[in-house]
Amino acid sequence: MFSSSQFDGGFMASQSTQMGDGTPSAAKTRDSHGLVPATVKMISQASQSGDEKSKFAINGVDVTNVTVVGMVSDIVEKVTDMGFIIDDGTGRIGCKRWVSDGFDKMEAEAIQDGKYVRVNGHLNSYQGTTNLVAFSVRPVTNFDEVTFHHIDCIYSYLQNTKTKLPQKGESSFSTPVKTEPNGFQTSSMDHLSKQYSIDGLKDCDQLVLECLKQSSDMGQEKGMHVDEVCKHLKLPLEKIKESVRSLEDEGLIYSTIDEFHYKAT
Amino acid sequence: MDTSNPAILVNGNLLPTHVRKRVRTVIQVLNSDRGSVIGKSTDDQQLVIKGSPPSTPLTKFVEVIGIADSDKSIQAEIWTNFGDNFDASSFNQLCQLANGEYQHLFL
Repeated sequence: MFSSSQFDGGFMASQSTQMGDGTPSAAKTRDSHGLVPATVKMISQASQSGDEKSKFAINGVDVTNVTVVGMVSDIVEKVTDMGFIIDDGTGRIGCKRWVSDGFDKMEAEAIQDGKYVRVNGHLNSYQGTTNLVAFSVRPVTNFDEVTFHHIDCIYSYLQNTKTKLPQKGESSFSTPVKTEPNGFQTSSMDHLSKQYSIDGLKDCDQLVLECLKQSSDMGQEKGMHVDEVCKHLKLPLEKIKESVRSLEDEGLIYSTIDEFHYKAT
Repeated sequence: MDTSNPAILVNGNLLPTHVRKRVRTVIQVLNSDRGSVIGKSTDDQQLVIKGSPPSTPLTKFVEVIGIADSDKSIQAEIWTNFGDNFDASSFNQLCQLANGEYQHLFL
């Protein structure tokens, strides 16, 4: 699949090589210096800071470089540069690719009317309009890239807006934001997104903890077997095991007669 | 930069809500005729795509951009071959997201 599913410390693993040109996403910090995926609509909504016309901010995060996927049109070829318009379905934006040593024949061939390309470049404001100064233009060969890019834009938006929420506890699991793109790989996104609450202790963990508390209230000395928890909550065993590990780290539960039986403290 | 004429991402279920608007979708070609193509949307609904496809042969999946002229048909302006391997279910979910809570990123 094309989405990144391994998260660690805020970095998104680069996309699979099937893409042809994996683009690393922005780092976790609010100042985004990486390549930010954006739709033309998002770029049109970007705010510009003060006198420096070259400073843009999308969703409140400073953006230097963006990546856009769309269809090429209106090519204007000059000696020093190549101008064209990218239409990604949300809008059209003018792009400019300076002709230089790096601009090889393959890139030039990719820029044809009606072809889908991925353009990486920085935003520039000129004569009241925003355009994209491209440092790389690559053809889209696998069209799942188009789907992926739009989903990537949603992900980037969520990452930039949700990092404002405070995170409690030393949970080793990913933040609420990071589960969103995984959602479409499994049965339903809504189900996954509801599992994560804002205060750090995930809903799934809460359920497991409640279940174990109930069993010790009922006087069970040896606690509850993880399989029993699984049957009781009707959640996959893997999820239960993850929650158990997390709760154990927090010191909220402890194992009793063996590694499968747990009790609430 | 111009965002005045977007093409709304739709699937079979979303098409009726955008009749007479500019839409884009990916269909699996079932049958092609002169003047129209019968396709299956990413949520398994049959759609009629009117207009003349390009002279090059159509691949299994085709993206069409055009005006929705009824609940089940689109007057296509642009046809793009999306190949024979395309993740229809991901595209379908994207349509739902792009028309749902993340609509402001697209329209």
